[in-house]
Amino acid sequence: METYNPLTGYLPLALVFLVAGGMAFAIPLIASMLGPKSVNPIKSETFECGNVTIGSARQRFAVKFYVVALLFIVFDVEAVFLYPWAVNFKALGWFGYTTMSLFAATLIVALAYVWKKGALEWES
Amino acid sequence: MPSFSIQDFMPIFPAAILAVGAMALLLSEAFLVSVPHASASRGYQAVIGVITAAFAGTVAFHNAFEDPRVVLQGFAVLDPFSSFVTVVVAVTVGLAVLLSAGFLKHRNAERGEFYALMLFAAAGMSLLALSAEFITLFVNLEVLSVATYALTAYLRRGTRPAEAGFKYFILGAFSGALLLYGAALLYGATGTTKLAGMAEVLRAASSGDKAWLVYCGMVLVATGFAFKVAAVPFHMWTPDVYEGAPTPVTALMSAGVKAAAFVALIRVFVALAPGLGPQVPFVLFGGLALLTMVAGNLMALPQRNVKRMLAYSSVAHAGYVLLGVTALFAPAAGTEGHGMGVLSASPLLGQVPASAHADIYKAILFYLLGYAVTTIGSFGVLAALERREDETRGTTWDLDRFAGLAHSKPGWAIAMAACMLSLGGIPPTVGFMGKLLVFRAAVDAGLLGLAIVGVLTSAAAAYYYLRVVVYMFMRNAAEGAAVPERHWQTDVALAVATAGVILLGILPGPVTAWLTQATMLALR
Amino acid sequence: MQLVPTQHYLILAAVLFCLGMLGVLVRRNALVVFMCVELMLNAANLTFLAFARERGDVTGHLSAFFIIAVAAAEAAVGLAIVIAVFRSRGTVNIDELHTMKH
Repeated sequence: METYNPLTGYLPLALVFLVAGGMAFAIPLIASMLGPKSVNPIKSETFECGNVTIGSARQRFAVKFYVVALLFIVFDVEAVFLYPWAVNFKALGWFGYTTMSLFAATLIVALAYVWKKGALEWES
Repeated sequence: MPSFSIQDFMPIFPAAILAVGAMALLLSEAFLVSVPHASASRGYQAVIGVITAAFAGTVAFHNAFEDPRVVLQGFAVLDPFSSFVTVVVAVTVGLAVLLSAGFLKHRNAERGEFYALMLFAAAGMSLLALSAEFITLFVNLEVLSVATYALTAYLRRGTRPAEAGFKYFILGAFSGALLLYGAALLYGATGTTKLAGMAEVLRAASSGDKAWLVYCGMVLVATGFAFKVAAVPFHMWTPDVYEGAPTPVTALMSAGVKAAAFVALIRVFVALAPGLGPQVPFVLFGGLALLTMVAGNLMALPQRNVKRMLAYSSVAHAGYVLLGVTALFAPAAGTEGHGMGVLSASPLLGQVPASAHADIYKAILFYLLGYAVTTIGSFGVLAALERREDETRGTTWDLDRFAGLAHSKPGWAIAMAACMLSLGGIPPTVGFMGKLLVFRAAVDAGLLGLAIVGVLTSAAAAYYYLRVVVYMFMRNAAEGAAVPERHWQTDVALAVATAGVILLGILPGPVTAWLTQATMLALR
Repeated sequence: MQLVPTQHYLILAAVLFCLGMLGVLVRRNALVVFMCVELMLNAANLTFLAFARERGDVTGHLSAFFIIAVAAAEAAVGLAIVIAVFRSRGTVNIDELHTMKH
């Protein structure tokens, strides 16, 4: 009796991964074995042309990025709740409309608070 | 298309009122306050907070006389437990707001957000107590937790509040995740997230192949709740968080959060009990109760820092409530003469007949009420004694602060003494009545050993509670000790709490009579 | 085509949950600990969805929505607290949070 493996459909994908992974290891390996090498201090700088590099790349981000990002996440996720309601708008009728209006009203209160508090101002 | 009537929404009215009040406070903070740092213009905010709490409490009180019923398609229940806890929460949050008014004004940190977060937390507690479905329960647990995380880290002075907030947040989120994963496994075992539906499925299943799912889920949910109610060995966050949080917030946490979490815990485990075999919840909660009563009191003994001592005392009191919960699941107690087998299963009754069960519920609810009033009073005095100058040092709450308080502030000393007696379970206070009811319920359920441990530990606890009283009345204040400022709001809150502690201790009759009647009605 | 059996999802979720739990217990960086908690929440989410698909029941799918929303709210407050910790002491290493030990 032949059993059907659910993963058979993914076989081509597995092949692609295998080949891509192999290439990723093989190419640098071959290049480092065959390629000519010239080691000097200038070459090991971050950039070989243009300005001398200043400071580290691991700088801290200003907190304002964080505030905006979090506000985005929170409002974005809340907006997801509108979607199932919108799809079933007719079926849910006035009850759904009232409920979602209340939900949206709380979000608007939050938005008004955030706005008035100045959390959306970029410069200040 | 579901059809709901106004009756369906009655139980959530108190929470809705609290949430609307909180939003009004947020908007007032954003739109009405013109001077950013003047506390003078914010005096009305505490008043709004108290009025909202009083309104919500009144509605909840009215709900308490409604017939118990399942509402909102089984997602919530209106019963004496939810209404009673909502009343307790409303009283707690009202007093905590009053305490905060003086506390924050003193630190020039009065903001509408603080009161708004308190009201949001209270709304979460009220909704948690009436949730009858796991996702509703989880969301409401997080509503109250997220609000209290923010409140804990609210003051930005020194390193303590942020540190306490972080510890609370990580352990709170961790326990929330444990509870949720447990809920997911239970959903897998029963195919529903409604507690009533779960109970039905678990009772129908003879010995399912999914028993291991139920057991794993049950253990995870129990662990999650044990963190929230600070039961040993899941209490390690409690002392640090209680110490680092602003004192009125600590009062709210130890009174309100605990009461709501206990009601939710009882609701969940009464529903799960049929799937677990009669001994499992009994052994689980019995063990937790034993550890919590003993360890909580032992750790409180050496504390000279009164705030930390009260934190450990809060752990110990969770143990006494757990003793009541254990009695609820005690196997075979009182079954003789009632013709009920060990495995008799009706949804709300585990193995003990209704009258015994009603007594246990009554004891637990009364204990929660008594502990809430007492803890608000004791943390209130602590908040009043704190001075802004030594906030960053650990000595703010040292026992020496209480030396000679009877001379400098006799009113506060009397309030603190009443609360300490109540925490120690000494008459004529509400703490004594609460302990009496719980221990009696435990003995009636056949838990003689645990009840004896409870009595012994609370006798040992009297030592560290009475030490505070001794310091207040029999020691002289240190030279040059500054007298703290007074605020009328603090005095009102302390007066109400103290009156509650003593009145409920002398005349518990009306409350216990109502509780007996209401729980009998709900259990029938 | 046959579907991947539910057990596989459940095992994956259990592994994720244990990884998250282990991370909370052993990692010392506050942000990593925080991410591990999120991992645990998402493991619960995956479990809900796996069971919901097995039974063809929408409750589990709905739960996932609510859990995501709660996780977002928790993340907002949690990160704010981590920033407060960082500002008050300049590190997010949780081994150094011991002001209150007595």
